[in-house]
Amino acid sequence: MRLFLKSYQYWLRTVISLVFFGCSQVGWSQSTTKINEQATDSLDIQKYPVEIDFLVSYYRQNGDHSAVTGGIGTESLDDISTEVIVNIPIDSVSRVGIDGGFSHYSSASTDNIDSRVSSASARDNRARIYLSYERDQPKNKSAFGVSAGVSIESDYLSNSIGLNYRKQSADQNRSISLAASVLLDKWTMIFPEELRATAHREFSTDKRRSYSFSANYSHVINRRLQASFHTDVVYQQGIISTPFHRVYYIDGTVGVERLPTSRFKFPIGFRLNYFYHDKSVMRFFYRFYADTYGIFSHTFNLEVPFKPGPSVTLYPFYRFYTQTAADHFAPFEGHAVEAEYRTSDFDLSAFHSHKIGAGIRFSPLYGIGKKKENSILKTIAFRGAAYLRSDGLWAAVVSSRFSFRF
Amino acid sequence: MKMSKKLIGGLMILVISVIMISGCTSVKPYQKMYLNDPDMQLKSRDIEAYEISCESYREGSTGAHGGKAGGGCGCF
Repeated sequence: MRLFLKSYQYWLRTVISLVFFGCSQVGWSQSTTKINEQATDSLDIQKYPVEIDFLVSYYRQNGDHSAVTGGIGTESLDDISTEVIVNIPIDSVSRVGIDGGFSHYSSASTDNIDSRVSSASARDNRARIYLSYERDQPKNKSAFGVSAGVSIESDYLSNSIGLNYRKQSADQNRSISLAASVLLDKWTMIFPEELRATAHREFSTDKRRSYSFSANYSHVINRRLQASFHTDVVYQQGIISTPFHRVYYIDGTVGVERLPTSRFKFPIGFRLNYFYHDKSVMRFFYRFYADTYGIFSHTFNLEVPFKPGPSVTLYPFYRFYTQTAADHFAPFEGHAVEAEYRTSDFDLSAFHSHKIGAGIRFSPLYGIGKKKENSILKTIAFRGAAYLRSDGLWAAVVSSRFSFRF
Repeated sequence: MKMSKKLIGGLMILVISVIMISGCTSVKPYQKMYLNDPDMQLKSRDIEAYEISCESYREGSTGAHGGKAGGGCGCF
């Protein structure tokens, strides 16, 4: 049995390495001898394990301020999401990542786009895949990577490309990473049923472009304490509003949401992790955010992981968030008829929110299962959280993660 | 005026953080037992990614988590 398992793992690794890289490196037209050489090379990959993570999550929310019905009405929504993250080493310095996911949601609010028939967005699916390649340069302690991805929904298509660079100091106590990405998105314009004859005149494009630049700096302070800064500069251009969101004017008439066609976002975050006791860690995160829509926000997050044993980590966490309203926000029947830009989306209103939850991670040194030396299941993790927003919206989310290595 | 007050508040926190970091010592690789623990990673947890995505839909702000940003309309 043990022999069978070892043989099974060997062949699985060899097949994966050949499928993903053999073809691209060897080429279809090359000789069998060359392919055999690649197969021999794949033995080296055993030193660098393939990692696969499966994540399954469920989200439920409800509230009374749906943007589809102009800031009133149900926000009931269920969403289930699955994701697979694969990390495949090619050799000692380079690796390929594949991140694929699928989610399905049902939403009572988007069902109100059209009152006569169930709307396309009442139930929707989203599929996404991202591919990445990263190569280390051990001589100068740096790494360079590229990535590309696509995300598809019934009314939305998003393509992305990105570059990233990471550099460590000689003593490996400081590192800086830079990343740039471009998202090219396209809407299928679906307007509320009563506005379909006129609403399209208000929009000159169905595209959205997002350009982002990120910089992270991390620093080891002492044997138990390290910190990092994260900042992004994001510029969006095109249709940033959602075409099926209604807005009710002060005189009771209805229109569609309309927001400025460009937006700068500037978040800056700070992390501090402290291993303050042999069994306890403190993880602190703060973020300040500002954008050209007039939103300012502060986010505080505190996690206190506790390790009752060498394989188990329990972590309660609490998050507090507060934001100001966007300049163009007004509630139901709050907009002037002549308002050029308007939204009644309470996600852009002034509010604060609390999130509380806990997680558990089980990760024995030699894996999970009776035959631990042959176990490819290395980590199991669960996490749950409850979210409450000051406008009455509540949400609950549970997530699980299963990590394999072979 | 309102904007500059908030910007100054954010920058103050940044400056204080930089001052805190300036008093650090060099740690050798063999002294990094605690720093290499998975709970000491300076980014959000992998299992948290979906939660962060949901929060970006329900709140006006996003980013600065030290991870990647994904596509999608954010309209569910």
